[in-house]
Amino acid sequence: MNVTSHKLPRLHIVSSGREHLDMPGRALCQAAAIARSGPVIFQLREKGLAASSLYDIACRLRGVLDTSKSLLMVNERADIAQASGADGIHLPEDSCPLPGIRKAFPGLIAGRSVHSLGAAVEAEKSGAGYLLFGPVFATPSKERFGPPKGLDELAEVCRTVSIPVYAVGGITPERSLACIEQGAWGIAALGPFLDVEALPSTIETYRAYLPT
Amino acid sequence: MNLPHRFLCVITDDLLCPVELARMALEGGARMVQLRRKHASGRELFEWAVRIQELCGRYEAAFIVNDRVDIARAMQADGVHLGQQDLPVAAARSILGPHALIGVSVSGIDEARRAMADGAGYIGLGHIFPTCSKDKSSPPLGTGVIRDVRRAVDLPVVAIGGIGPENVSMVMDAGASGIAVISAVAGAENPSAATKELVRRIWA
Repeated sequence: MNVTSHKLPRLHIVSSGREHLDMPGRALCQAAAIARSGPVIFQLREKGLAASSLYDIACRLRGVLDTSKSLLMVNERADIAQASGADGIHLPEDSCPLPGIRKAFPGLIAGRSVHSLGAAVEAEKSGAGYLLFGPVFATPSKERFGPPKGLDELAEVCRTVSIPVYAVGGITPERSLACIEQGAWGIAALGPFLDVEALPSTIETYRAYLPT
Repeated sequence: MNLPHRFLCVITDDLLCPVELARMALEGGARMVQLRRKHASGRELFEWAVRIQELCGRYEAAFIVNDRVDIARAMQADGVHLGQQDLPVAAARSILGPHALIGVSVSGIDEARRAMADGAGYIGLGHIFPTCSKDKSSPPLGTGVIRDVRRAVDLPVVAIGGIGPENVSMVMDAGASGIAVISAVAGAENPSAATKELVRRIWA
């Protein structure tokens, strides 16, 4: 699928990472709620699952999300993304190098997580379709990436690269607006979207602060 | 890629540098190296894979990647080895194409038949003997199952699990095309010499 950057949804939702622990089936429930709420990027990021389970879930997510024009990204694994019909992959910084993956899987959109301006420039050069940059604000799940980068560094990244940048890390609905003002295309988050029952209204709340 | 006639496949363990182990195994006469490192990052795996593939090319040995079809495809490795929890064989085949070597771990005739129907190029059958290299809750299969699987499917059978110099001949006599080892080489004081001895016994 060839999606030009300006068509990417503004909201990037990351799965719980806990499918193999206390949240089995959560990703599918999230997808069902997303399907009723309009387009987002949904990233299946479940490092604790074996490839066969990831493949099964990705295939089912694909079917559920198709109705909403949402994009499905599989974290890291281009093989699973391609086999399941997902739109793309999302590569963490310690992934298999992007140029090799782009060449081997040219049909997939490749998003990339970056934590510095240099990495952002490098990723764009390597053919990344979009970036997740952060942590912009303090958040427990991103502490391993050091202190928050802040809005100024986000602004610098957004000025420097021409592909869409999603701000990640402690992004509340109100902070979304500040990120957009710094040039971010959209925002990415995990925690706020775990509550499946509230998901449609959570998405609406975020949308109120994001460009259409 | 075609499999050698009778061969030893050395699988990387979680301790030694995979590149160094591959080099010693190839020096000792291994004809296949499988990169298997369950907890490594994609970047680490890719970097090791590039160097091991180069070594395997020099020795004209096969290089396969465990589980990660994406990495095998990105670097055009000879193939992949898939467990029952990995990507389905048919999906891997469609990504890697008709010429890639795809091995599938099975523990009996039914899984072997399914692997063949799905497009596997060889069967990894085990565990044959007791082993502590992987967490195994099921009892060892014994060598009889090698004969059974050979009769049931028309694919080379690579025996795995608890194989060492003392029992190589039993496995080969039962009809295996090759053997795959982790600890018998990676855990040896001299992996190169251990490989040499296993290869000698494969041909004995």
